[in-house]
Order: sequence, then structure tokens, then C-alpha cells
Amino acid sequence: MADFELRRPTSVAEAVEHLAEGGLPYCGGTELIPVMQLGLMAPDILVDLKRIEPLGGIREDAAEIVLGARVTHDETAASPLVRRHARVLAEATSRLGNARVRATGTLAGNICFAEPRSDVLTALLALEARVDLRSATDSRTVDVADFVEGPFATVRQEEELLEAIRIPVRASRSSYIRFQPGEYPTVTVAAVQGDGGCRVVVGAVGEIPGVFTFPSAEDVDAAEIAAQVDVTEDLGGREDYKRHVTEVFVRRAMAQLAEGSAA
Amino acid sequence: MSETLVRTTVNGRPVEARIPNRMLLVEFLRDRLGLTGTKVSCGMQVCGACTVFVDERPVSSCGVLACDIDGADVVTVEGLATDDGLTPVQQAFVDCSALQCGFCTPGFVMMCTALLRKTPNPTEEQVAHHLEGNLCRCTGYEPIVEAVMHAAESMSSAESGTRHD
Repeated sequence: MADFELRRPTSVAEAVEHLAEGGLPYCGGTELIPVMQLGLMAPDILVDLKRIEPLGGIREDAAEIVLGARVTHDETAASPLVRRHARVLAEATSRLGNARVRATGTLAGNICFAEPRSDVLTALLALEARVDLRSATDSRTVDVADFVEGPFATVRQEEELLEAIRIPVRASRSSYIRFQPGEYPTVTVAAVQGDGGCRVVVGAVGEIPGVFTFPSAEDVDAAEIAAQVDVTEDLGGREDYKRHVTEVFVRRAMAQLAEGSAA
Repeated sequence: MSETLVRTTVNGRPVEARIPNRMLLVEFLRDRLGLTGTKVSCGMQVCGACTVFVDERPVSSCGVLACDIDGADVVTVEGLATDDGLTPVQQAFVDCSALQCGFCTPGFVMMCTALLRKTPNPTEEQVAHHLEGNLCRCTGYEPIVEAVMHAAESMSSAESGTRHD
């Protein structure tokens, strides 16, 4: 690993100043440290977010659940607020990676890394989440759907800090399922049925999760989704196989949603 | 080379050191402190052989910067047993022969200890789910699950004051 300077701010204001000087934010490091060990990234300055108190915690604010940038997968999975209003996210964060990744990794770091097979991304897209971005001079809120541009690529500028993730609280039914025979999931499916229709998100099969919307859960066409979803052939399987498991897992997700209680 | 002054507690002992920013926690524990019970295997946070506790959370010490333990309480496998003997988890690994070559065992013991602290009476499914990120290449998973169930049982017996044989 190449040498770097370590900065440990205690406030957001201080952190964004360090980012303006070219710092790279990090918290759990579950994605970043391996990438640095492989030499794929060699930041000059790391900005540790772990001492910034306001970036911790999960709260409800004006019909939104707000998750700070420091919130880990474990904290999310255990949160009564998340379990009640965003169950797909509780399911995703209780199963992704392994128990150590869940204990230290953060949701904010996960989506900034934008790993194509991210469980968090699949769930957040289904929930129509947004993210707050802040720099020393500006702040903006962006839909997660617009935030992630492609594999390992987001619209976050280098001087911007992902401060919080916002999830709208809506009455809905939902389901989240995943299939992982190896180190990474082969397919992840999140389905959310709300007043405005049914959203089905298929992750892990391609370079970026596919979002499909239908007037209601009854209208969801698993075969159509499987035919349309973006698929990348890799160690997880060939194209025809991935389309096949997509169809199967969309059907299962919809069956689970129909059986499940409202949440 | 950039360094950071770190004050921490490792297995109950205060440690103060200047640590290179790029040094990994597992390197610090093994090479500086001589705590070689923590193993390096995959180096990618996948196999669990390097598991230690940082503020009671299980982490892959191969994927954590050593500087990150500043102000934290670190426990390695060497810190589990006391003068009174092995912990119930360690004893259960012995009793159930939950190891063959033993290389993965410190990591498994740490992860199983973490599980039983949060979930004192897990189901076998919960044990398997919790241990998905720990690899044993001697394929000894069944006795490991058995050991966890055994440890949970002996801990709850001890808790309720009844004798368990």
C-alpha cells in the first residue's frame, strides 16, 4: 500500500475542507483498504469520518428516514425504524458480505464505491432513496437513481461528502431476496409495492441494477424483466443462465411480497 | 513515511505506539506485538482467519488500518482465556474436535464468541449464517456448528446456576 496522510476531523465543516484539499473520505474501509492494497487507488490524503458525531445515527425527519454517513450495515439491519418502514433495506443489510463487513462497513461507503453487485444499491433504488452531498461551498440532494452512473462510478465530485441517505416513509409491501452460491451474489431482487405502483429492482446480474416499474404487483412480468435486464457475463454465469435466474427470483420475490405483511 | 500516534488497549494492556499510516492492524498485532494467534490467509476480508474485536465488534484485521484502533479496545484470540482457563467457546472447540489443522480456528473462535455475545441461544441456521464469512479448508464445519451449540448450552447452564455435564 502506498503511503498517505491521515486526517481525522471531528466536524463536517472540517471534513469538507480536507476534501477540498484533495482528501478521500473513508469510514469502515471494507471496500477502500483492499482496493488500496491492490494498488488500484493511491490517495494522498485519507479523511477518516469516524470521529464526526453528527454523521452517526438513524432518525426520522419529515416523513423520511435519514441515515448518517457513518451508519453501518448492522446498525441499519437492527434499526426498528428501518425494519418498520424500509424492510427491504433491513433484509439487504442483514445478509450482505459477511458478519465482519456488516459490523464495520457503511451504507454511504457502499454506494459511493458503487460495486455493481451491491445489495444496498438494489434496496435503495427500490425505496427511491436520495443522498445529501456537501462540499465546502455547496450542498445538493440527488436521487440514488441519478447518483450511480455505472459500475464503480457516481456523480459525487471529489470535494463532496455523502452526508446522509434519505428514504421516504410510505405505506408499502415489500420483499428482498438474493442468490449467492459464491463470494458475490448472482442476483438480488427488491420489490416494493406502494400507492404509486410496484417497483422491482434487479441487481448483481449486470453493470448496474435495473429498475422496472408497474402499475401494481399483479402486473409484474418476470419474463419481460428477465428479457430486458442488463446482463454481464462473468464468473456468476453466462447470459442465458443469468436471465433464467432473474426470472425465477423475480417470481419468488413477487410471491413473497404477495404473502408478506405490509411494511 | 507518514505515521500516527496511537494509544490503545490490546487484551487489556495499554499500548502506545507511532504506527505507519499504511500499516494494517494484523501486521501491527503480529509483527509489533508478537500476537501471532491472529492469522493472515486471504488478505481480502473473506476468510475470517484474522478476526479480532475492536470495541467488541468483530473485524478483519487484514482490512483495517492499524491507526484506526487509536482510542479503541482491541481483543485478540490471546485475550480470551483467563487464569481460570479456557472460555466456554474455546472449551467447546476442544470437546467437539471442531478443528483439524487449526489455522482457521482463532478466527472461528473469535466469530463464535461475537455471535454468542449478541445471540446467546442461536439456532443452527443463525450459526451458519453468522459463519458464512469464515472458511475452513479442512471442511470441518459441522463440528464447528456443534461446538457453538454446545458452548451456548454450557453458557446458559452456567447462567442459570445448574450443572451441565
